[in-house]
Amino acid sequence: MHIAVIIRLVPHTDSELEISDDGTDIDREWIDTKLNEFDDHALEEAILLKEIVGARVTALAVDTEGADRLLQTAIARGADEAHKISMPADVALCSRTMTLPVAAAVQKLGAELVLTGVQTPHDIYGQLAPYLGGALDWPQASAVSGIGADNDGILVQQELSGGVSTTLRLALPAVVGVQTASQPIRYVAGSKLRQAMSAEIGTLDTGAEPLEIGVKPTGLIASTAAGDVEMLNGGADAVAAKIHALLSERGLLRGERQ
Amino acid sequence: MADTFILWLLLVAAGGFTWWRFYRLLRPMKRAARAARFDQPLRRLAGVARALGLHERLLKIRYSGILHAMIFVSFIALTTSIVESFGSVLFPGFSLGPIGGTTWIALLQDIFALVMLAGVVLAAFQRYVLRPARFRGSNAIDATIIYVLIVTIVVSMIFEATFGILAGKAGADWRPVSHALAYALSPLRLSGEQAATAVTVFYWLHVTSILAFLIYIPGSKHRHMFLAAPNIYFRSLKPKGMLPRAAPDKPPAPVASVEQFTWKDMLDAYACTECGRCQAACPAYAAGLPLSPKLLITDIRDHLIDAGDTPLIGGVIREETLWACTTCHACMEACPVHIEHVPKIVDMRRYLVEEGKIAPMLQEALSNLQRTGNSMGSATRMRARWTKGLPFKIKDARKEPVDILWFVGDFASYDPRVQDVTRKVAMLLNEADVDFGILYEAEQNSGNDVHRVGEEGLFEMLALRNIETISGCSFNRIMTTDPHSLNALAQEYRAFGAVYEVMHYASFLLELIETGRLKLKAEARGKVTYHDPCYLGRYNGGFDAPRALIERAGYRLAEMPRCRENSFCCGAGGGQIWSDDSGVEERPSENRIKEALSLEGARYFVVSCPKDKVMYAAAVQSLGAEDAIEVVDLADLIARALAH
Ligand code: SF4
Ligand code: SF4
Repeated sequence: MHIAVIIRLVPHTDSELEISDDGTDIDREWIDTKLNEFDDHALEEAILLKEIVGARVTALAVDTEGADRLLQTAIARGADEAHKISMPADVALCSRTMTLPVAAAVQKLGAELVLTGVQTPHDIYGQLAPYLGGALDWPQASAVSGIGADNDGILVQQELSGGVSTTLRLALPAVVGVQTASQPIRYVAGSKLRQAMSAEIGTLDTGAEPLEIGVKPTGLIASTAAGDVEMLNGGADAVAAKIHALLSERGLLRGERQ
Repeated sequence: MADTFILWLLLVAAGGFTWWRFYRLLRPMKRAARAARFDQPLRRLAGVARALGLHERLLKIRYSGILHAMIFVSFIALTTSIVESFGSVLFPGFSLGPIGGTTWIALLQDIFALVMLAGVVLAAFQRYVLRPARFRGSNAIDATIIYVLIVTIVVSMIFEATFGILAGKAGADWRPVSHALAYALSPLRLSGEQAATAVTVFYWLHVTSILAFLIYIPGSKHRHMFLAAPNIYFRSLKPKGMLPRAAPDKPPAPVASVEQFTWKDMLDAYACTECGRCQAACPAYAAGLPLSPKLLITDIRDHLIDAGDTPLIGGVIREETLWACTTCHACMEACPVHIEHVPKIVDMRRYLVEEGKIAPMLQEALSNLQRTGNSMGSATRMRARWTKGLPFKIKDARKEPVDILWFVGDFASYDPRVQDVTRKVAMLLNEADVDFGILYEAEQNSGNDVHRVGEEGLFEMLALRNIETISGCSFNRIMTTDPHSLNALAQEYRAFGAVYEVMHYASFLLELIETGRLKLKAEARGKVTYHDPCYLGRYNGGFDAPRALIERAGYRLAEMPRCRENSFCCGAGGGQIWSDDSGVEERPSENRIKEALSLEGARYFVVSCPKDKVMYAAAVQSLGAEDAIEVVDLADLIARALAH
């Protein structure tokens, strides 16, 4: 089995986000980027599959600033190879615009299973996996929290609401949007990371034209924090008593003995 | 003749058996990893002479130091008796007589026999009645057997001399103890022949108990009689803050199993006396965590002797044990035979890190460090944000030359609870017209604690990034607000060929005051106490500058019982700041605040490490002691004492 994992850099939301001058985007000049958390899980799941069924794992990222380092990290994590995907410079990056170049790269590599994170801070509706499924005309499942494999394809664990989950069987080739890996993400020691830092990352030129952007933001507003924080000071007993008083004052205690 | 033959036989048999026991014990050392400990023989010897001669570390616990000195000196004096007893029979005609064997040597033997017995009585009293907690986990039966053997050896020697006097041998004048005993036994009215028989009996009791002692030693903690001196001789002469490393391009290997330790690590294990001084000093042990530095060493030792099927890590030594250590160095400072606990712990942690076996919180911190160069995972671009709100702009040392390059450190830069102090330091430097600059977002965590967590690769990455940035700057000296960074920059970066003159801000502020660049108002301001941070004090000897500053600022210093080398760790070092305190019965920081509260009238708990500010402020709060004591930084004190 050949698995392609699509990983993306997203803004580091711990930094203070500021709105750009034209008011339609965040100011990217002053923020760090990091690997999208769900993509991290997709990568881990791919490596787990590699360990269990002997798959080959290729990490893919759109060629932007920081893509080399991102893909080198994927190699340190256990990916067998990694490529950047070229994109025309003037296209704003989003799930829709990256779909066709990524789909073309997947086909060029001959991968049969595509894993990517279920969503990103940009794409909270989780469109990349369905878009890719559509573009490739492959079956697709999202919000997946664990993948198994047998001779007939893959079995995916899908989270439904209300604490219910279901297992679906997908014939390969297929696209999966991963929510969590079946095991916690492992730590990659710095020594391995350092080794991978010297890996050359090539670029796949697919020649695919991106889709037009369908929706354009007209304005971005920062939400305002709703202040009120009260610090409770004193010893543990005193603090516990204050918490108790606050809860009971607000009628949040049930069956309280009088 | 028959005696000579029998004694030779016994000696060869016992000697051979002892040798075989030692050989079997020490055999793993032959194939162990290398350790370069053969340089500077004179300095090494001088250290041994000092340790044995002055008993400095032993005397830190007065009672037990004194009793050890009594036994130690008596043992040396009584070797004359051993030589005499064996020599006279093995080589008929041999005698110490010509050099004083019947005069002053006899006198020494008599006196030190008593001193030895007194020492053993004190030791037994300590072990069975006083029962200090540091003995918990030590082998008490072993100690008892040794007491019995020593008493037998000494008493048989005295009685041999006593009956010798009764049998009419000369020399009673020089043997006051034996003489007195002989006088006490005179009512028995023994015949000369009976007395001579008793001499023979006690003679053989004496020599056989010595041989029994010899045979027993290799299996006992009293091996230290033979191994303590070599272990001290081969001690590390490197700066304390430099973890052992073979070469810049040769990172130290992780240790996964016992045979991967160096021969010196093994010698350490064999030399342990089970005295428990390390355990008594250990903050992790005091906190109720599953780490006793003593048991760590004896577990390694027992595993070396008999590995069985249990793995070293995760079997003999639990993972939690390795993670509990704050690398505070208190154990190593306390150990009378200079055993090195911390490097072993770090070696084993390296294995866990390579295997990815680390707790979630630590994993998060390390991943953050990989990504952003700080453990909080904050954006690198936020690093110098604390400078906002200063009435002046701090120079960017990457862009213009400065006199003082200020390596700020993660906590001082990012933690809102500490930033205020950081700004105060900046104000003081500005006030004194210091030409200084910082590295802005190019500064990375120094890697000191990353190194001690066992993350060698990440440590190298961080160190090399900092070294690269610093090498692009023009400056004279480096100052840091963080003792952990101080240790990394001053001691650890040497391994990569980067040698800097680095100082802690306490020394620099003191320099500014002494050279008149900072002027303080002379005014008496009350009593404070001061906490020595491990990486400033024990690791880098920075005990005096903070104390001098406190005094200059007009405060009176009341020392806590555990101060200077004996300072008690706040509990945050060695990566502990990145772990939760599950399993902790009493936080080291709270233990420490209680110690400070026991001092009458110390208003301030003065710190000189950003982590301490965080740790102790939290401890004061959770003890509900805000009214009694306040945690302040040295910079706070100096700022308050400024002359304008
Ligand atoms: S370094 Fe400190 S915490 Fe670690 S074992 Fe030694 S005394 Fe205990
Ligand atoms: S390691 Fe040192 S201090 Fe600790 S018990 Fe052994 S000899 Fe004593």
